[in-house]
Amino acid sequence: MYGDLGNKLIIEAKRTQQLQSRRNGIRDGTANVSIPQYNDALVRGIIAEVEQIRESGAGGDAAAGQCAHFVNLLCLERNKRCLLSYHKMRSEIMDGMAWAGTAGDVLSGGGGATDSTLSDQLGNLSHSEQSYLQQYTDLLTQMKSAPAFADIDLAGSLTPPSDIFIDVRVLKDAGEIQTEYGTFNLVKDSQFYVRQSDVESLIQQGYLQKI
Amino acid sequence: MGYFDVDDVLADAVEVPCKFQLEVAQVGFLAGQPGESVARNSKLELPLWLARILAIVGAGDGEGDGDGDTPFVELLPPDTFAARVMNAVKADPVALDLHAVSPYFYALAVKWVNLFSDAELGETVARLLLARAQEINSNAANVTLVERTLDDLAGPLASRQNGVHHSSPFMLTMDEWEKTVYKEAHEAYRDSKKWLLQ
Repeated sequence: MYGDLGNKLIIEAKRTQQLQSRRNGIRDGTANVSIPQYNDALVRGIIAEVEQIRESGAGGDAAAGQCAHFVNLLCLERNKRCLLSYHKMRSEIMDGMAWAGTAGDVLSGGGGATDSTLSDQLGNLSHSEQSYLQQYTDLLTQMKSAPAFADIDLAGSLTPPSDIFIDVRVLKDAGEIQTEYGTFNLVKDSQFYVRQSDVESLIQQGYLQKI
Repeated sequence: MGYFDVDDVLADAVEVPCKFQLEVAQVGFLAGQPGESVARNSKLELPLWLARILAIVGAGDGEGDGDGDTPFVELLPPDTFAARVMNAVKADPVALDLHAVSPYFYALAVKWVNLFSDAELGETVARLLLARAQEINSNAANVTLVERTLDDLAGPLASRQNGVHHSSPFMLTMDEWEKTVYKEAHEAYRDSKKWLLQ
């Protein structure tokens, strides 16, 4: 029956949401977002179904014809809702990626990624989704550098720091950084005792790890 | 409950029994026979997203608001709200396996009450919710600040598999909406406990 494919898609969306909330629960809020494979076959199937309903052209002036027309119309509406809901769910995950700062790693195909799970993510996105993620990330970067928000780190952690100074380990070479406490040469596998606010962005980019 | 809400979309797919008020050609696919027509007075299980509209819209001459016309289909009370279930609700709300009745019981009830202005059903469900909310709360209050118990957030099923956290049989009878209530209550309890211990 019409609408069954849409149902499958929504069940998949539900499962994704459950996995997502479970993962976030375990990692306790730290953003580790992953997105499952885009279900191209099912989406194409639904669009084909929509075409089919449109071409069937059921209708007529009699009451029965009107009813058939209504049924077709409602099937179209239903398919539209299923598709929109699925894509909205995915775009929300992608927004999360952009805010968590992992979008860059995903888009580069995992080239510079520290987390191996990120490297598979690019293939899980459809082409439109890739360009969506790209543009959303660009937009976010623009907003962060806007004069109005110049003094605020919009992507900063929401949990207040417990210590001003923290121990960090360098995960990959990042060259030299300068802070008001001197210059650090970030060589892989070395450890430093630094001020948290100085290195926050480096931690987010995956160069450093907090110990 | 928004347009994009996955749970709401799923709740809309629940099938309810309907009776066709007139013979309709071209919609045989509803009964699994594409190309055929659906006979008058035939009973079919239609998803709510279809039945809801067909039950209020009737065929007219193109004018008027359709109030005077017979609707295309007549909605029959679904098993979810059968007298059998309602009696069980009144007898002991906590012992009822709501998930078995319907995973989207509350969502369905809300839609049903809206459709038929069924005040009695509304009151029964409100009492059901009140009784079960207390049970949900006492289950959610069971917090231990051990890393592994965070698995519970995934839902009662996961915690059962892990066997770490003792979950009562009640957790398996919760419907989807109750699960989200449980989850939020559990997180709130955990957060406040964390804060107290700090």
